[in-house]
Amino acid sequence: MSSRKLRIVVALAVSGLAAVLVTALAGSAGGAAAPVGSGKQTATNSVCGLGTGKKATGTPIKVGGLVTFEPGTDFQDIARAAAAYFQCVNDNGGIRGRPVQYKYYTTPINPVTAGAQARKLVASDKVMAIIGNTEILDCTVNHKYYRANGYYVIGSGIAPECYNGAPTMAQVNMGPAYSATGTAQALVRAGAKSLVCDTSNQGDPTKYVNLGCMAVGRAAGIPVYDSHHDVPVTDGASVALELAQRAGNGGGIVLTYIPPEALKILQAAQQQGLVDRVMWGCATPCNTDFVAAALGSTWNGKLHVNAELALLDSNGPDMRLYRAVLKKYASKTAIGSFSQMGYTEAMIATSAMLNARTPLTKQSINRAIRDVKNYKTDILCKPWYFGVAPYHNPNNTDRTVVPENGKMVQKEGCFNILAYTPQLRQIRVWERQRNLNSGTPPYPRQGRAG
Amino acid sequence: MPDLVGLGVLGLALDDFKPFVLTGLSLGAVYALSATGIVVLYQATGVLNLAFGAVGALGALISWELVNSTGIPDWLCYLACVGVGGVVTLLYGVLFGPAFAGRDALVKATATLGLALILLGAMYWIWPAGTFARSLIMPTTNWGFQVDFLNARLNGTQIIAMCFGIGVTAGTALFLRLTKLGTAMRALADDREITATLGVPVRRVEAAAWLGSGLVCGASGLLLANLVGLDAGSLTFLVISSLAAALIARLRSLWVTLFAGIGIGLVEALVTPIFELSRYRTMAPFVLAIAALLVFQRQNTMPVTRAAR
Repeated sequence: MSSRKLRIVVALAVSGLAAVLVTALAGSAGGAAAPVGSGKQTATNSVCGLGTGKKATGTPIKVGGLVTFEPGTDFQDIARAAAAYFQCVNDNGGIRGRPVQYKYYTTPINPVTAGAQARKLVASDKVMAIIGNTEILDCTVNHKYYRANGYYVIGSGIAPECYNGAPTMAQVNMGPAYSATGTAQALVRAGAKSLVCDTSNQGDPTKYVNLGCMAVGRAAGIPVYDSHHDVPVTDGASVALELAQRAGNGGGIVLTYIPPEALKILQAAQQQGLVDRVMWGCATPCNTDFVAAALGSTWNGKLHVNAELALLDSNGPDMRLYRAVLKKYASKTAIGSFSQMGYTEAMIATSAMLNARTPLTKQSINRAIRDVKNYKTDILCKPWYFGVAPYHNPNNTDRTVVPENGKMVQKEGCFNILAYTPQLRQIRVWERQRNLNSGTPPYPRQGRAG
Repeated sequence: MPDLVGLGVLGLALDDFKPFVLTGLSLGAVYALSATGIVVLYQATGVLNLAFGAVGALGALISWELVNSTGIPDWLCYLACVGVGGVVTLLYGVLFGPAFAGRDALVKATATLGLALILLGAMYWIWPAGTFARSLIMPTTNWGFQVDFLNARLNGTQIIAMCFGIGVTAGTALFLRLTKLGTAMRALADDREITATLGVPVRRVEAAAWLGSGLVCGASGLLLANLVGLDAGSLTFLVISSLAAALIARLRSLWVTLFAGIGIGLVEALVTPIFELSRYRTMAPFVLAIAALLVFQRQNTMPVTRAAR
């Protein structure tokens, strides 16, 4: 090779290397955006935990949860979203430098398994907090065990005991019964001439889910019907026809199912030409854009969905961060009510842990969780609280949304759920007397020093 | 509103049942379609294919994936569902069929149960059930018209299901009677060993039976995904209704299979408005199959093809 050719080759190699370096530098400069969840917690900006942007490296804090998972009933999105938020917290300084090690177990609907898995969390895993529980039998089977072992559990409730008999368990949702109640209230306001309250046999072993829905109908002086079907639904068309027949023209139907099962009935209703014959409603699980998209424009404004939490595309600081956290840490988890619940539970638990007295122990963390009150978040209508009470239902105010061209949009703003139980009536009294959810003073989300 | 004799005590009238007729007929026709595939395969190979529903579900989910993740025309994606049914079933038949050929019917059936469970696990792994709602709705499902005298809407997919159920049963019956391959299949059903010694290419004939049965399976999966919903678990276990129809037909008569399938679909649907029985309607296939088995046992007419021996 001549010296001229050699120079050309060297020049090309050097310029190529320079181009690569420039590109890499530009890339790193462009990628220097702040990590998800970092920054300062303000009224307009939400962060993960301390928001330092630095990975936590200390001794892990073990946190656990239980969720139901069997065909037709799957609440794993709740735990997945909680895990995603804790991962974000760990990437942002953790709990005073200690990462949260979150682990959840799935259980079928079986009291023996529910009890065994709770004991595994407590006795084997020795978790310091129990967060994100959404197990159909958990409140019924385990609430005394949690109490005896000093745990204050934040979860998403289903069984009636979650709202009227578990002193150390508080939920971020209002549960299927109250959510169905809210849906029924929306249908009655829209002019329903009757109410058919329908849910799954498996998800409602104690047959209480439809009670609030029926109470709304009775209060309005219209006929009410209690209805249950097996899941997975294997003949949506017959179920849809049966419900429409019971409701009669202009009647209302309240479905309380997980989204895939509700969708089977709703799509069958569309195929049978029943969309306009009756008024359709669905409890909180239907509040997901996947349902709206799958239903299509035929259902625009025609499915009244109860939303226990904020609209999925709302732009409050917590909702913005929720979407960003899910996108980064749990991209396969659906944006919807279930993941909102898990996220909110982890968010509240993180703030409680940041407020706990040092050294961090199971006792100090659970005491801090118990003492949460006036926790403001744009994901809930009113501030959240735990407190000391024989039962809890801190989220008893919600909204109504309807599908509109593949998205859920708000139809009604926050309204009080009908207090059809003495427990909810008493809870509202305590809220006023103890200043639990007025929002003043606001709960310090990053710890009192934060 | 005319009272239905005998049901007046339940406060029901004929009009209460009318809307359920079409949905029962269409679902029953798909049960019959699946059951036809099961019977033909059993006759030719002695295998009671318990993976029928799982294979159909796999086809439907792959079809859904193609519709939602690729630019392939939708109709090709729907055909893919049928194709997947054929390919998976054929592969199983070619790879494992010969190994199980000499075993008894129970072993063969249990092996297909293994396939069903593997496929079900794979489907839950690839397409987690969760809260993500999937749906595979063909344009035919959104097209339809009101049938006034039944007070119900008949959609295109229901029409296809009914026509397909009857058409495939009739076509298969004619195929078995009039074609060389069909005759070979019937001969296999009578005696596998003698058929082989007569020079019939047994493996090829069996492969044809697996493929044909698989294509029917894929078509059933596609129709059920539209009529019932796209859910791996539901579609997998809908095979129970088809199995019941096949058992009622003693795994022999295609025409009885057709009527049994439609009967099961109708009973399931027509029990719906009887609120006292409605929650037990999913028991219909079991009840009807058990009743049929009891009758056959009493008459000592339980079927055992020589191929199954």
